[in-house]
Amino acid sequence: MNAGTKFRPLWQIVRGWRGGGVRTRLRRYLHTVAMFRLQGSKVLAVDMTGDAVKAKNGSMVAYDGQMAFKKLTGGGEGLRGMVTRRLTGEQMTVMEVRGQGTCWFADRASEINLVRLQGEKLFVESSNLLATDGGLRTGTTFTGLRGASQGNGLFTTTVEGHGQAAILSDGPAVVLRVAPQYPLIVDPGAYVAHQGNVRQSFQSGVTFRTLLGEGGGEAFQIRFEGDGLVYVQPSERNTIAGDV
Amino acid sequence: MSGYGTAGPVVHDPMSLPVDDNVNSYTFCVELKGSQWFLQKGKMIAYYGTIEFNGVGHGRLDRLVRTSFHSPLHASDWVVAEGSGKMLLADRAFDVNSYDLDDGNLTIRSGNLLAFQPSLALKQSIVPGFLTLIGTGKFVAASNGPVVFMEPPIRVDPQALVGWADCPSPCHHYDHGYMTGVMGGLRAMTGLGGASGEEHQFEFVGAGTVLLQSTETLMAEQATGVVPHEPGVPGGAGVSGSHGPQAGAPRLPGQLGDLQRRFGL
Repeated sequence: MNAGTKFRPLWQIVRGWRGGGVRTRLRRYLHTVAMFRLQGSKVLAVDMTGDAVKAKNGSMVAYDGQMAFKKLTGGGEGLRGMVTRRLTGEQMTVMEVRGQGTCWFADRASEINLVRLQGEKLFVESSNLLATDGGLRTGTTFTGLRGASQGNGLFTTTVEGHGQAAILSDGPAVVLRVAPQYPLIVDPGAYVAHQGNVRQSFQSGVTFRTLLGEGGGEAFQIRFEGDGLVYVQPSERNTIAGDV
Repeated sequence: MSGYGTAGPVVHDPMSLPVDDNVNSYTFCVELKGSQWFLQKGKMIAYYGTIEFNGVGHGRLDRLVRTSFHSPLHASDWVVAEGSGKMLLADRAFDVNSYDLDDGNLTIRSGNLLAFQPSLALKQSIVPGFLTLIGTGKFVAASNGPVVFMEPPIRVDPQALVGWADCPSPCHHYDHGYMTGVMGGLRAMTGLGGASGEEHQFEFVGAGTVLLQSTETLMAEQATGVVPHEPGVPGGAGVSGSHGPQAGAPRLPGQLGDLQRRFGL
């Protein structure tokens, strides 16, 4: 289990229970799933037939057919979500796109990676999340020291449910599997997202040599254990520990 | 876990990752089996297995550094990876490629070199800002866009040059025949009246290979460390006296002469 679910407040448990309720199930049956596909590696095309997707505000580059764009305040997670995002600093300006036809999305020529979720949870930085299927739930979770070492803050965005999501990376992301036999260690600056039942811990190689300026260059690392996938980009963001 | 990877991206695990080869154009995988690799700080993005990263100042590595690391003055930018497992290297989403040297030598722009096997010796080049690798082994280099290999004799744009192998004669070449006389001098100085921006090239002759990147956007320079302050060492402090006369007006590099000379003063 990840760090976020350990100290789950009551309202989240209640929400989880409601998530499997009649309303959601009914919606899941009626819901015609939007089709995500990549056109090249930097443009996302979504085919919609009356259904909706959530996308990063202003990321639409073109559409044909009939589309309505509606800004969702507070990440489209309701009042509670809005307050949580405001408090955690994990802000996300999201719009809801609904209509018939095809809509194209892109963001600063970043590479786009498609993720298909079948009930598991995807953890991603809000700035790296381009679009999610309307049927997916988004939320925020505590990441602990990992977030701090990335310079991204202590909280991250979660995407949960059944459907597709598109995440952004600087250069095409490499997808690495984590299994109990082989844990994975990732540089915080290159981490983009992860999914599945993965436990992460923060590992530091700071020694007295780091203080002498003779460090190993990889003083802060995130260790992933469990069962899931980790998305890594071929580039490093500037982190507080960038040069140690 | 049936849910993963359906019609999605390729999922890699330690078994499917290539051995000392590219994962994609931007990511390179190195396999360590108790062996060592030198790499530039912060270019490791992820690894499986147990790998230790140590600054080259680490005492246990003294012998290794003595045999294959001869640019002590920028040692703090390099680390030694040691252990067993697979390690992914990448650099700011630039193209990365590996090159094999077979008892050869190659000189490369310092910012482009990512990692190398200790069977190669790294030395500072006499040409400032470049590093030379000598010996047999593999190294990984980044470039802005794919690398093109050219045969000398060739003249190349300074910004597109990544490095060269076995060519002993890298030199400057100026191609401004049309910039003669007083007007030409003014034109070269001010750029008014048109300069193509391609008047200056690097020239290579002899047998060897020249490596070019397919863009003129340079990668950030990596300090190669200062050279000893000795007369006769390019870039060293001892040289400053030799080009004293031009200390006055700013000169364009490669200009044939000052305006004074053109005016006959």
